[in-house]
Amino acid sequence: MVFYPVTLLLMLSTFAVQEFIPGIPMAHYATLLLPPVFFFCAAVAVPFPMMLLLSLVTGFLWDIRHLPTSQTLKQSGAGELLKSTLAEPERLNVGGLGIGYSILIFALLGIFLQGVRPLFKRGRVELPVIMVGITTCLWLMLEYLTITLLRGSLIFPPALWTKLVTDALLAMLAAPLIFLLLYSLAGVSRYEIKYDGLRYTLDGL
Amino acid sequence: MKKRNLLALILFIATVVAVFMMDTRITRKIQGQVLSLLSPFTHAGSSLEKTVLAKLEDNNASQLNPIDLKRDLDAMQIEVESLRIVSQKYQQTLEENNRLREIIEFKKVSPFKMNAARVVKRVSSTWWNTLIIDKGSLDNLATDAPVISASGLIGKTGKMESHMAEVILLTDEMCRVSAKVEGTLEQGILSGERAGLELRSDLRLRFLSRDANLIPGTRVISTGEGGIFPAGLLIGKVKRFENKDITGEAIVEPAVDFSAIDHVFVVVMQEDEEASTDAPAAPAAAQPTATPGSANK
Repeated sequence: MVFYPVTLLLMLSTFAVQEFIPGIPMAHYATLLLPPVFFFCAAVAVPFPMMLLLSLVTGFLWDIRHLPTSQTLKQSGAGELLKSTLAEPERLNVGGLGIGYSILIFALLGIFLQGVRPLFKRGRVELPVIMVGITTCLWLMLEYLTITLLRGSLIFPPALWTKLVTDALLAMLAAPLIFLLLYSLAGVSRYEIKYDGLRYTLDGL
Repeated sequence: MKKRNLLALILFIATVVAVFMMDTRITRKIQGQVLSLLSPFTHAGSSLEKTVLAKLEDNNASQLNPIDLKRDLDAMQIEVESLRIVSQKYQQTLEENNRLREIIEFKKVSPFKMNAARVVKRVSSTWWNTLIIDKGSLDNLATDAPVISASGLIGKTGKMESHMAEVILLTDEMCRVSAKVEGTLEQGILSGERAGLELRSDLRLRFLSRDANLIPGTRVISTGEGGIFPAGLLIGKVKRFENKDITGEAIVEPAVDFSAIDHVFVVVMQEDEEASTDAPAAPAAAQPTATPGSANK
């Protein structure tokens, strides 16, 4: 089956393409977040195991590329942690997300998107496009809430909503093109985008 | 659930657990390698963006009104004149300063040298405020090194590649600085605001005393006691003071315009004092009598 490896390669190439996509300064550097958007589109077109593999690759690479890293304090107990925190507050990694958390978020949203596969199979992309926008919004919101949970104090500045809405709209603009690409790829590779979650079989017929 | 799906789910969970348990050194190495792999695309993307913006600016410039241009020219001429006067004063002060230094056999006080770097691009990600610069580990940069400009403190270095590095901006909540308000005993921890993605978002200096009577416009500088940033780096100016439940909090306007940074200086901390005597002078932010032009390029 050529469709799966090519989809995986396309997914990897989106990370290179992302470097060419600029942010919009007036919308708080909102941009088209291509690798996640490609994943959300592909999650509709591939079966469950492949979706998990894609979420693994996308989430891992996204965290590796985009999570800022800094040195962390070496401590071996609460006392030592408190001591080093007071001595070197600039070195304290406050509420930093760990590599790999995006894998879980992508997998969760991927499972959610698998629900619209029947429509995608029939060639209807309206709802999947809207769903891609919603999942982009949900992903960013989940990430923000995780940071908030780790760092404390619930703050929702206006910049948050501007960025969320702009990123989701840009995702919805790109989604039809990605769906078209996936349809074309399926046609070329003779891959049948089918829904096999609820299949009824009658023995003897 | 189908057997195939169940097996995939078990494998997925096992891999996620393995990723979470990965050693920091290994993840940092992978991060460097991924940054290295993507660096040609980052450079190409940045130059393409700059070319497009330059062409757009050219188009806008050709459509400018001559009356507006004349007004701008007049304003600039006035500014040039005033700057010329300031420059003369500065020259006089510099000469006087040098004479005084000779008298008291003053040694260079800067404990660090700097590495100049060009900003490749501002990263548009999710909730992080970062930049990419064109110097990396092979240019003697290290993670968590202070990054400054002539205007003031910019942030600290993060991920490293051989000739590329990430800078976590001061406006990001992850970048914390031990800072004090000049002319007072007030000292606290300064950091950016969460999702502070505005072009010039404010900073917050926390853990001040509640009765601190801070005057707006007072300079905020680093204390040098936090473990990363050296003392005396200009961070910004107090905008206003807010009383919280237990402590006071100052809203600080950053000295640097983060939307217009082309070049930065990465501070390379010196281990011994002897090494520091060979170092060039600190920037204006750290030492008012020197300029970043004297830095290593």
